[in-house]
Amino acid sequence: MPHHRRTPMPHHRRRRALVLLAALALAAVACGGDDRRGQVTTIATTAATQAPAASADSEGPMASSGPDTFGLDPVDPLSVSGDIAVAGSSTVFPLAEAMAARFEDEGYSGLITIDSIGSGAGFERFCVAGESDITNASRPIRDAEVESCQAIGRDPIEFRVGTDALAVTVSPGNTFVTDLSVAELAVLFSTATTWRDVRADFPANPIQRFIPGTDSGTFDYFVEEVFHEDEGPILAAGNTQLSEDDNVLVQGISGDGCDPSNASTTCAVGFFGYAFFAENSDRLSVLDIESVEPTAESVNMNTYPLARPMFMYSTASIIAEKPQVGAFLSFVLQFVNEEIGEVGYFPAPDAVLQAAADELAAAL
Amino acid sequence: MTVSLRKKRRPGEAVIRGFLFIAAALSILTTVGIVFELGKEALLFFRTEEASMAEFLSSTHWQPAILDFGIWPLVLATLTTSVMAMIVALPVGLATAIFLSEYATPRVRGLMKPILEVLAGIPTVVYGYFALTFMTPLLRSIFGVSLVEIFNTASAGIVVGILIIPLVSSMSEDALHAVPLSLREASYGVGATKLETSLRVVLPAALSGITAAFVVSISRAIGETMVVAIAAGAGPKNFTFGEDSLFGYILNPFVAGETMTGHIVRISGGDLSYNSIDYNSIFAIGLALFVITLLLNVVSRRFVARFREVYE
Repeated sequence: MPHHRRTPMPHHRRRRALVLLAALALAAVACGGDDRRGQVTTIATTAATQAPAASADSEGPMASSGPDTFGLDPVDPLSVSGDIAVAGSSTVFPLAEAMAARFEDEGYSGLITIDSIGSGAGFERFCVAGESDITNASRPIRDAEVESCQAIGRDPIEFRVGTDALAVTVSPGNTFVTDLSVAELAVLFSTATTWRDVRADFPANPIQRFIPGTDSGTFDYFVEEVFHEDEGPILAAGNTQLSEDDNVLVQGISGDGCDPSNASTTCAVGFFGYAFFAENSDRLSVLDIESVEPTAESVNMNTYPLARPMFMYSTASIIAEKPQVGAFLSFVLQFVNEEIGEVGYFPAPDAVLQAAADELAAAL
Repeated sequence: MTVSLRKKRRPGEAVIRGFLFIAAALSILTTVGIVFELGKEALLFFRTEEASMAEFLSSTHWQPAILDFGIWPLVLATLTTSVMAMIVALPVGLATAIFLSEYATPRVRGLMKPILEVLAGIPTVVYGYFALTFMTPLLRSIFGVSLVEIFNTASAGIVVGILIIPLVSSMSEDALHAVPLSLREASYGVGATKLETSLRVVLPAALSGITAAFVVSISRAIGETMVVAIAAGAGPKNFTFGEDSLFGYILNPFVAGETMTGHIVRISGGDLSYNSIDYNSIFAIGLALFVITLLLNVVSRRFVARFREVYE
């Protein structure tokens, strides 16, 4: 019997299958941990490849450092090295990323990491774990967060870097809605199941909602402005997709298949920072709120109801300990207005930037 | 000169033995450690005032931020994607295995097996985007945009099925191949055709191995994370019996739903604070996942013990 040893299922193999099974089941759970970092941008610069190009440019920014440096000393990124850890708001993320890229183009030779994890999580990392040097935030720091920061010897300083107009968007197929009031927003994002529930002359298409996750400052801000700080209604609403990843929201809204003439098609709605609308303006439509369109002008005049400040936070002790952090913040304040329009946000008023620069100058 | 018949001392042998034992023990210790950690954190969760085992097992709403802790929306979404995956993977995987083991010439076999294994080597995140950018539009073009949502469990489930085909086929093929040749010869001897031999003789003989393959695949489908996180949806499909239609919404695979693994990924992606109830809740989900796969395993062992045909 040449094949005698081939038993149908050797015992050891079953054992192996069992261990494999357990390992797989556990790996599934462990994977959750691995993916925590979600969206992390690491921009590593090798001095060898970047330095020559940068040195050629380095006179440019010095000369063109513009009319307004807010009294800050010019920063020469070529002379800056050392690591900078930034974490926080997904709204501020594209702006911070653009500033970091420019900082590196001009010769910064350290490693700057920017994690897009939401404002709340950013403060958590800054004030509780004490792991980051700068927190990006799309809302001001809360008293409780200041307290936990102080508990680990960090006294946060606020630098306002720009303004965001929170964009409420629908897909281009949705042609019936162009303007909503704040009261209608509250209905739309809580109890309504069809668009007709929001306004009587809308069609009866079902609503699907795409909103930022509960860790994001955008969510907090929206709840504060529209639901008077009560997050119950918006979270209890059915047919709601939440994500800290704004690209997921953009994808969901733009792919809703909305057809106002066919009441069985779903018409999606969602909100996020204006930059994500600007980046995807070909596949999304932005709504006016209280008949005000989000534009640079309406944001500056403070007539757009969902305009909100964007911040970076750090502390004097971190700036003293890591000069590169101070250099980066100073660089941000001096050049933010040259980048912010490109990213899709709106400049903060000059007086506010001046105040931030004064704070920084005092800390430097 | 006497010849020593005593066992020769081989210190090198002991070292190798020890090393192999440590390697084997390591995975078991890891398992024990993970189960301990899961249990500990899950216990913290059930001990809080806001959460209770009764609510966890009975409620049909999951939304940690407003203290709704009912596991069912997540479990149902996981079941939906897994069932879809099994519908795809089991028949295709088993057919592939039968072909490779019984029909294919050694040349074809030698060519096809490595190619199938390449499929297993594709990162799951790629499969996730494959689901979102290929499978979802395909389903929408077949069933209509109004029926199929952009994020839906069907698309994710089908792609998870494709992802585990190599696992099913490779493990089943091993089991089929291990069936003694004498059985096939006896079957041909009494006049059975190749198909009859494959399906009525070889397949039952390899049943325990194939069941093991199926169970591993089901566990893989239940635990698969990236595909469902990307394509299935990003919010728990909360429902109320009586209010929501059973097949139109609750079990409808074309509606977005969030699986257990998908939920863990999404809410931990925002760097949850360690002391929050949301953070502890993901360990309760993890434990539930573990219990489900364990139960599956126990049931399948029973099944195998009962129907296994032993040839010795």
